[in-house]
Amino acid sequence: MFQFLPYLLKGFWGHRARAMLTVSGTAVALFVFCFVSAVQDGLLRLTQDKQAQRTLVVFQENRFCPTSSRLPQDYTKHIAELPSVTGVIPIKVVTNNCRASLDAIVFQGMPAEKLRSSRELNLTAGSWSAFEGADDGALVGQAVANRRNLSVGKKFTINEVTVLVTGVFQSPTTAEENLIYTHLDFLQRARGQNSVGTVTQMEVHLSDDADVDHVAATIDAHYRGGPVATTTRTKGMFQADTLADLAELIGFIHYLGYACVGLVLALVATTTVMSVQDRIKEHGVLQTIGLRPNRIFRLIVSESTLLSTAGGLLGIGAGLVFLSFTGLAVAAEGVTISFRPSMDLAITGAIVSVVVGVLAGIIPGIQAARTKIVTALRQAG
Amino acid sequence: MTLVQVKNVTKQYANGEETITPLNEVNLEVHQGDFLSLMGASGSGKSTLLNMIAGIDEVTSGEILVEGTDITKLSRGKLADWRASHVGYIFQTHNLIPVLTAYENVEMPLLLLKMSAAERRKRVEIALEAVNLTDRATHYPRQMSGGQEQRVGIARAIVASPTLVVADEPTGNLDDETTEQILELLQRVNNELGMTLLMVTHDIEASEIAKRQIRLERGKLTERQSESTNREITAA
Repeated sequence: MFQFLPYLLKGFWGHRARAMLTVSGTAVALFVFCFVSAVQDGLLRLTQDKQAQRTLVVFQENRFCPTSSRLPQDYTKHIAELPSVTGVIPIKVVTNNCRASLDAIVFQGMPAEKLRSSRELNLTAGSWSAFEGADDGALVGQAVANRRNLSVGKKFTINEVTVLVTGVFQSPTTAEENLIYTHLDFLQRARGQNSVGTVTQMEVHLSDDADVDHVAATIDAHYRGGPVATTTRTKGMFQADTLADLAELIGFIHYLGYACVGLVLALVATTTVMSVQDRIKEHGVLQTIGLRPNRIFRLIVSESTLLSTAGGLLGIGAGLVFLSFTGLAVAAEGVTISFRPSMDLAITGAIVSVVVGVLAGIIPGIQAARTKIVTALRQAG
Repeated sequence: MTLVQVKNVTKQYANGEETITPLNEVNLEVHQGDFLSLMGASGSGKSTLLNMIAGIDEVTSGEILVEGTDITKLSRGKLADWRASHVGYIFQTHNLIPVLTAYENVEMPLLLLKMSAAERRKRVEIALEAVNLTDRATHYPRQMSGGQEQRVGIARAIVASPTLVVADEPTGNLDDETTEQILELLQRVNNELGMTLLMVTHDIEASEIAKRQIRLERGKLTERQSESTNREITAA
């Protein structure tokens, strides 16, 4: 079949306007498909991460936005003493926008030693010692740094919080790269004196054999009659609940992904049908020369697959580059979903392009292969 | 030696409610090295007979044996394989692939046969030389005259050294001078390369270059024997 590749490629060149339009249409559709898939992947990573299922988040009962949750910091001590609890991290969260936003800035203040031990941060600039030595020091996620053009040594202010960038980090948990970590007491003071001694949430780490639901229920039961009642969920569930509205929207957006696939199918199939109709006589000549009908079929399917794959790879490539360099993320109520490129995304996109190309060529291919040679040779052109 | 035997071949097709029978119990023998012209009025069925012998049209009844193989019994796929190695077809309208150069057009039938790239290249060069178009090898059909295109078509038909070369009105679209050149070329294909040629034409002068002249009238074949007598071919 490869010996006919020059014939296929020259056929594209001979009808380059049509081929280019099909390839660019496919590329745009696959770009959107790639983007939609990245959004879905981001949400899935956030809510279905294994660690997120083994970590609890304690939040003030009936509160949603981080600014409204105020838990006494001394809850930490009691929770740390519960069976199966291996560690508790008090976290103060400050965000410039509680609603869904593509450029929300989320500060998380926590004790420096807990930050270092609980997060797998890889500093690409700055150092831990600089962070630990500066009261207003901040470790900025790579995505935020890219988006806001932040680098080590720069000071910046958001929502009356002014920090000094002492490090930029990357993280295996991509959503983390949209956060800015500060010292807990600094962030408490930065929000006014009445914030001292209170935190937004507590992150509770459990032993491997812990009964997650039981520990959560124990914590909530203990504080039900206390000064501030709590709601304790797994980190995955907490994030899913917080992002519920967005998740619904993202769930709807995945239909856009299907629509893109349908669009590519229609586009490539239309081009292939047109191409076959233009060359009925040519296919008759090829069969006269000795090409088997199934070879004609394969040539046409190869043609549609090449077009679709070329456009698909172009669109996926553009999508991955765009996602890599923009560091896009959507945040709501202090929780962020990052849109990151991945190998899975590239492979899925490539498979979709190939499959759609094959499907688009089947009917025109059958049509061309079934046409009687004498009928084909009588066609004008 | 008998190369092609057409035995009691009938062709019928429906035209609305009417059944047309252009060929009725036709018999014909073509020998190795023959150059046979087939004449007849428009719609007499001469191209249909040619196409059936070339294996691109189906018979309604009867047999066509080529080197002992009944090609009417072959499946579409096997018939395609048979055409690739046994038949070279010269069309009236050249029918070159427009996106391929003269060289690539001539090479196309060889892509279907098992041979090395070097052997392929050698054969294409010989075929182009035979039709005097070596200097046009890299030209596209749109860059050539009708006569040159037809010569490329002839090169494509002979490049695989087929058992049988069929030509359907090969000079139908050409001017007198080019017609003469093409007929001369066909004669060389028959005389020098020893290929068996079957040509459909409505041009009496063109038919006269053939060794045998057959006429198709009212579904029956008659062969011209001499100036005065014609013999109806009744038995294969």
